[in-house]
Amino acid sequence: MKILRNISFGQYIPRESLIHNLDPRIKILSCLAIIISLFLITEFLGYLILGTIIMIGIIISQVHPKFVFRGLRPILFIIIFTLIIHLFMTEGEILYRLGFLKITKEGLIRGLFISCRLFILILTTSLLTLSTSPISLTDGIERLLSFFKFIGMPAHEIAMMMTIALRFIPTLLEETEKIMKAQISRGADFESGNIFNRTKNLIPILIPLFVSAFRRADELAIAMEAKCYRGGEGRTHFRQLKIRMVDILTFVLIGVITVMASVMF
Amino acid sequence: MFICLENVNFTYNLHMPFETKALKDISLNINEGEFIGLIGHTGCGKTTLIQHFNGLLEPTSGKVYVEGLDINERGVNLRLIRQKVGLVFQYPENQLFEETIFQEVAFGPKKLSLSEDKIEKRVREALKMVDLDYNLYAERSPFSLSGGEMRRVALASILSIRPKMLVLDEPTANLDPQGRNKILSEMKAIHDNFGITVILVSHNMEIIAEIVDRLLVMHRGEIILDGPPREIFEKYADDLIKVGLGLPQVTRCMHELRAKGKEIYTGVLTVEDAEKEILDRVRKSNKQLKIKKG
Repeated sequence: MKILRNISFGQYIPRESLIHNLDPRIKILSCLAIIISLFLITEFLGYLILGTIIMIGIIISQVHPKFVFRGLRPILFIIIFTLIIHLFMTEGEILYRLGFLKITKEGLIRGLFISCRLFILILTTSLLTLSTSPISLTDGIERLLSFFKFIGMPAHEIAMMMTIALRFIPTLLEETEKIMKAQISRGADFESGNIFNRTKNLIPILIPLFVSAFRRADELAIAMEAKCYRGGEGRTHFRQLKIRMVDILTFVLIGVITVMASVMF
Repeated sequence: MFICLENVNFTYNLHMPFETKALKDISLNINEGEFIGLIGHTGCGKTTLIQHFNGLLEPTSGKVYVEGLDINERGVNLRLIRQKVGLVFQYPENQLFEETIFQEVAFGPKKLSLSEDKIEKRVREALKMVDLDYNLYAERSPFSLSGGEMRRVALASILSIRPKMLVLDEPTANLDPQGRNKILSEMKAIHDNFGITVILVSHNMEIIAEIVDRLLVMHRGEIILDGPPREIFEKYADDLIKVGLGLPQVTRCMHELRAKGKEIYTGVLTVEDAEKEILDRVRKSNKQLKIKKG
């Protein structure tokens, strides 16, 4: 049960900071710029620059670093896994031999490089979700996507679906924990047995979870209809997004740095 | 002593920005065969407390003993503890998942690797305890039942592991009066006939005051009152009102009579008791009147 408590990925921490108050569109686009340049950069020095930007961002956002790094924990396994795969599977100058396995210099460099990439990727997106409330995040996405409306992109519907999905992540996690506890009290065991048995043991969690998710969906649909929800057509926003000087400056700054980093490294 | 808590503290999200203290220094003894009501407002820590009874939560500090065994020590088989202390969560009907009611109730015994005959015997026994006819219900889908019936099936699925103690979190929430009375009278019967220790958790005084032998009142993570309901209603009515729990209607009625200057015993729980008490008083004063006149 401790596993479920530790997921901070996708959580929003309210603070009054420069980063929090940025326009969500600017934040999303900046993150996108950083992520694109992450994949263009081919040298460690480039990652050092991007990493520094993110660290500065975390400091300005006043979100406790412990929170940011806790979000990394579930991803740690994937990072270590890719590191190991790269270590052993890359051909090149042999550094160390372990039976039929061999560690190569190229593998080591490549593995560390990919790990850094994943690391910064997660930090960037964590900073975005930690400093932006789900509502303004989807607001921003909706506005950004509405550029594509003319090719038939249902921007509002996509944004609404995302809002609902984000909104229900914690609810479903809570529900899962509750169901797990209830089944443990009834004699279920989720901690021992082989993989086959463990998978089978998930049935008592998954079925009640699906049942309740469907019920929730049904209730939500009725509630929305009762409030006369009819899609995005002609809908106005209570909170108007406004681009201020700070937003433009931030975007220019991030844009220049990422473009330079991508070109130079 | 069946369960013993020593200075138990519990904090959610320890060392995190959203740290909240849910239990404060709780010490508590529960003896075998007791029938206890645990009462308190939503969010006062009732559910947190009962999850310590079978090791679902580990106290931040303090000790929990079940039959003298410190259950949070290393190497303790918590599954054995969970067989002894059966915990029924709020809305237990939400945890049903099997195809038939038989399989649902047999889930626990199967995990104990019992033989087929023994499993069937236990299922029959458990369904009988919640007053569901085995022949009518065993092969039906649990999802085809009414809310009250689903809840009783969920209850049976805990009873089939034969716990020595049964803890029920808000067992009557969202039930109509009929379903509510049914569950409560079954709990009473389970306690009286099988000697199972029962703890009923609720925020509603009306429901549990009448049937329990001992009342635990929680407020903001602490147990503030502990004793037989009559005694608590008689002596500590003010404290109950202060924390916003209030008294059952009959008891409040008696307190108001007392406040109007009538000499009357206020520790009553049922309308019948109140009726008897009031009639007794009236007769007595009538007698005194007659003596005076005569």
